[in-house]
Amino acid sequence: MARRKKIDPPAEEEITSNISSMIDCCFLLLIYFLAATSLVSEKKLDISIPPPGDTASSKKPKVDPGNIYVTKAGVVTWNEGLTVGEAYDPSLEPGTPAYLQQRRMESLVENLKMLKEQADAVETTPVVMLHGAAGAPHQRIVDVMAALSEADIHSVGLSTTADE
Amino acid sequence: MAKKKSREPEEVNCEGDPSPMIDCCFLLLMFFIVNASQITVSKDPSVNMPHAVSASEMKDANGCIVVNVFADPDVMGAKNPKALEKFNQTYAAYPGTVWGVADASQNSIGYNSGQSQQLSEFITKQREAMEAKGIKPEMIRLYLRGDADAPWSRSSGAIRAAAAAGVSNIVFGSLPAEN
Repeated sequence: MARRKKIDPPAEEEITSNISSMIDCCFLLLIYFLAATSLVSEKKLDISIPPPGDTASSKKPKVDPGNIYVTKAGVVTWNEGLTVGEAYDPSLEPGTPAYLQQRRMESLVENLKMLKEQADAVETTPVVMLHGAAGAPHQRIVDVMAALSEADIHSVGLSTTADE
Repeated sequence: MAKKKSREPEEVNCEGDPSPMIDCCFLLLMFFIVNASQITVSKDPSVNMPHAVSASEMKDANGCIVVNVFADPDVMGAKNPKALEKFNQTYAAYPGTVWGVADASQNSIGYNSGQSQQLSEFITKQREAMEAKGIKPEMIRLYLRGDADAPWSRSSGAIRAAAAAGVSNIVFGSLPAEN
């Protein structure tokens, strides 16, 4: 009688997946997004201007419009009488207290809020005209826009005046 | 005298577990992906952005027509010589550039102060292309990236050109004044 051949069970294989290529891809993506992302993101100040030929804006407003003037030096005045912002100093370092002090125009914000309240009382939208001198620095215009945004006024008429 | 046979130490299998590192890597990746998708307007490095104390977050760049407004080259160079170098390199073919835009293929185009009509035509084309894509007219805005030292006449010129092109919503780009 022939001897029965003993069959050995197959050796247990360890199943492993190679994740190194996935980690490589992941690192590449990480480096890409690190390089592409700037953490200080740009902010926005939304303003709308009355479209040309807008008949509603040419009617006499129920509340006297507010006028903001910005001179070439960056001095901001409210209704031609009250100085609400000093001359623009480009040498100030951003982030310093002096720089922040120059950016904030609390007096202008207060006046704009009062105008908004008056307009809300008669259920109309406040009318604000911004008269900027041709050479006025853009930073000063942005300061005024920030004040308008703080006072919750999002519609403004813009005009350019000659430098004094 | 019998010598004591010293036993060899058992071989230890040293294997680092990379799973926490991969976890960290994925978390960082997700963080940067989320941040990167916040705003996708093209940013010209030659513009020294103004700072604003009160501004809101730019959540959706869809419908933004970006116009860069540059300061005078001497002012730009005095503040940041690298910005001036980049500006001269980018707009070499457009002398006297005061407004810069990027077309659909992200090629930079410069317009001088006498080319407000051409700028208006460019904005009109952009607006029409956006409307054809299904973007609502009220969502189409002029994204004004004005240099802090640019004169107001240039910014207002770009706004006028946009108004003539039928875009009356303006977004003033700025950086937060407080960190």
